[in-house]
Amino acid sequence: MGRAFLIGITAGILTVGFAFADPPSVTAVLSNSEIVVGETVELQIKVTGPGDANPPEEISIDGLEIHATGQSRQFEIHNFSTSSSVTYNYTILPLKAGRFTIPPQTVRAGGSLLRTPALTLNVADSPGHLSNAQPSRGTQSQSVHASDLVFAELIVPKKTAYVGEIVPVQIRMGFDPRVRPRLVEAPEITGQGFTAQKLQESGQTSDTINGRPYDVVTYKTAIAAAHAGKFELGPVKAKAQVLVPRARSAPRPRSRSPFDLFDLDDPFSDPFFSNPFAQMGERREVEIKSEPVALEVKSLPPNAPPSFSGAIGNFTMLTDAKPKDVQVGDPITVTTEISGRGNFDRVNAPAVEDERGWHKYPPSSKFKQDDEVGISGTKTFETVLSPNEKKQTLPLLAFSYFDPIKEHYVTLRSEPVAINVQGGAAAPNVAAAQPASPAPATATRPAPTQTTVKPQDILYQLPDRGRTMESFAPIYTRRFFWVAQLIPLLVVLGFAAWKIRQAKIDNRETRRLAALHHEAADLMHKLRRNDASPREYYAEASRVVRVKTALASGSRGIDPNIVDAETAADTFKLNSDERDRLRRLFEQSDEWQYSGAHNGPGRISPENRHEVLELIENLE
Amino acid sequence: MNFLAVIPSAAKRSRTLAIFFCLIFGMALSVFAQPDAEFAKANQAFAQGHFKEAIANYETLIRDGQWSANVFYDLGNAYFRTGDFGRAILNYERALALERHHPEATANLQIARDEAHALELPPNWPERYLQFATINQYSIAAVVAFWLAIFGMATLIFARRRSATMIVISIGCLLVSGVAICSVYTLDRGSKGRALAIITGKDVQARLATADTANAVLALPSGSEIKVLSTRGDWIYAALPNNLRGWIPAKNAEQVRL
Repeated sequence: MGRAFLIGITAGILTVGFAFADPPSVTAVLSNSEIVVGETVELQIKVTGPGDANPPEEISIDGLEIHATGQSRQFEIHNFSTSSSVTYNYTILPLKAGRFTIPPQTVRAGGSLLRTPALTLNVADSPGHLSNAQPSRGTQSQSVHASDLVFAELIVPKKTAYVGEIVPVQIRMGFDPRVRPRLVEAPEITGQGFTAQKLQESGQTSDTINGRPYDVVTYKTAIAAAHAGKFELGPVKAKAQVLVPRARSAPRPRSRSPFDLFDLDDPFSDPFFSNPFAQMGERREVEIKSEPVALEVKSLPPNAPPSFSGAIGNFTMLTDAKPKDVQVGDPITVTTEISGRGNFDRVNAPAVEDERGWHKYPPSSKFKQDDEVGISGTKTFETVLSPNEKKQTLPLLAFSYFDPIKEHYVTLRSEPVAINVQGGAAAPNVAAAQPASPAPATATRPAPTQTTVKPQDILYQLPDRGRTMESFAPIYTRRFFWVAQLIPLLVVLGFAAWKIRQAKIDNRETRRLAALHHEAADLMHKLRRNDASPREYYAEASRVVRVKTALASGSRGIDPNIVDAETAADTFKLNSDERDRLRRLFEQSDEWQYSGAHNGPGRISPENRHEVLELIENLE
Repeated sequence: MNFLAVIPSAAKRSRTLAIFFCLIFGMALSVFAQPDAEFAKANQAFAQGHFKEAIANYETLIRDGQWSANVFYDLGNAYFRTGDFGRAILNYERALALERHHPEATANLQIARDEAHALELPPNWPERYLQFATINQYSIAAVVAFWLAIFGMATLIFARRRSATMIVISIGCLLVSGVAICSVYTLDRGSKGRALAIITGKDVQARLATADTANAVLALPSGSEIKVLSTRGDWIYAALPNNLRGWIPAKNAEQVRL
């Protein structure tokens, strides 16, 4: 529905437009009115207005060869007013020099006859013979100039500098975006008498220069003049491959657009660029070259400060030290940061103004740059200072540079840094280094033939070779050390074995004694029961005495079976009465044991029993 | 049996044996006397001012394994005379590594360090307190205390009555042994331990990476002490004075302990 509506609206506009269209008209132009013999020129007949037109099929003029080459149609709508036009193209090749007039041509358009204006064409034998000699666009188009496609520019911000001063330099290289450039050789600043730092690409922009667009690549570097004088810096040279239209084998005039009213001399008006697929382009290596730049280099003024090492620019200095509490002889690391802009390759560590009482070690440095070429940044120095005596502040550090803007030398000095140095005197001399104890007897004093002894000279040679060592390795890494550990190990093991054996022996004796105690208690219990026969009674009584004797013998370990009355009496250290009683007891026991009968009564009297018990119980 | 023939034969045999033993004895004497002769020759060259010849002779002794504190000390003196302070310091350090209390080496080492402006590795605090004894002394103390503790414990195990004194002694010995072992470890891995090396090259720069173009960490004067941490190809990674670390070409440093 909507679609049909749109079509209807468009048709209406067209109908109304055509109803109010202008009447047909015709014009004719030559792409160039002055050419030389052999070149071609284009004739365009443009018919504006509705309807079809019938252009002339053949135009015959003596001395000119004219061929129709085609037609194109344009259709335009302006404020609901439509117009259409048809352009008919002809190629004119002059066969001889002279002034030719192309007469009016009749064109039928929209039912009416129209006439083109008469045109004049001046044809010369050679370009020099042309009146109002203007470069022929057709000729230019045969070879597109590389200089119009690429350019190089050297930018030096100052015209005067000092020897050694770092001068930043910028190189701009522009390429027409359509040539698709490929850099073969990087840009290089030619010239002598200066050193240049490594070129750094800093970016790419799109600029319009003289009405033409360019891709501009910017490189940055810095130069430093080696001596005074006037220099010519550059030119910058580079090589690049660019894409250009392929050269035609035969010269063929490029027709100028009839509507190129301003004659911009644009090499890209070549058809190749408007339609790159119409013909293949070719890569061509072109040399890009800039204009040189003059630079005047002046010498540095005389009377440079002692701490000046060639630094030129503008700098600041910061100093710090660690540690601040040290002993005499301990190292203090002094860190100095020199920041700013200038030739950092000539920035050396600051000088110590007063080195008395200090020992200075060679400094180390590192540089952190803040830009691409290293003109600005911070250079950090670490210097180790060692105090030889008590000090309260670090020595002042001085750094000098030449300021090219103020045109004089500047000396920076560090702020006093408070430190605390403790300890004794300075490094020991020979006397201090002499051993406190007398030298070994083998040592000899210096021989007369030795070198003259200086105040800090070394001590004498030792003529005795001394004890030879097998190794520098610590004792615990040597085999004999670990083998030697077997000795205490074996001792410990032996001790343990002995102790275990002793324990076993002790254990056996204990068991034996326990058995004897048990037997003695058992026998005493039987003796007290009063129901045994005399034979049993005396046997048990004598056995108790033997057992008690064995128990009392202690470490002697007497066997109870071999104990007799005398042994028992000796063991218990009995008096004569007790000894007699004990002897009688043993005799009675033997009698009952061996005779089988007794001379006395069959039973033991209570008195006897009591007497025996008393005797036995008193054996302690 | 021909006795007349036997008697001269026995005499001949005993004479041959005597000659053989004399030869053996002579050879043994010459073997023991040779290093002394070489050492005397080196000392004589030194006394005559022929320091390079003296160095060659001392080096020969060292190559033959005749390591003694005095030989290294004398070699250090010879290097000192030639102005090679780095190697002088190296050999004084070696003398002290073999014999800690070598007064001449200690004195000359200090002089050589002053001359060379050599940097020293600062000992850490445990090392500072443990330096009154050597690694070997700590090692012996450790094993003696250990075995005493073991004996004490064995006695306690087998005793009928456990004595408190014996328990305290055993624990004390074990503690002493532990402290001594820790001391051995600390000193052996410390700044003066087995990884100690001396800069023998001149104008040596310790760098951040194993390349001559790498940024410098510290300039090391000849004779400076470093502690080798690891080795990679021709470079050694070392702990430097001022608590820094960096890479140094291996050819510019030699370890003290051979």
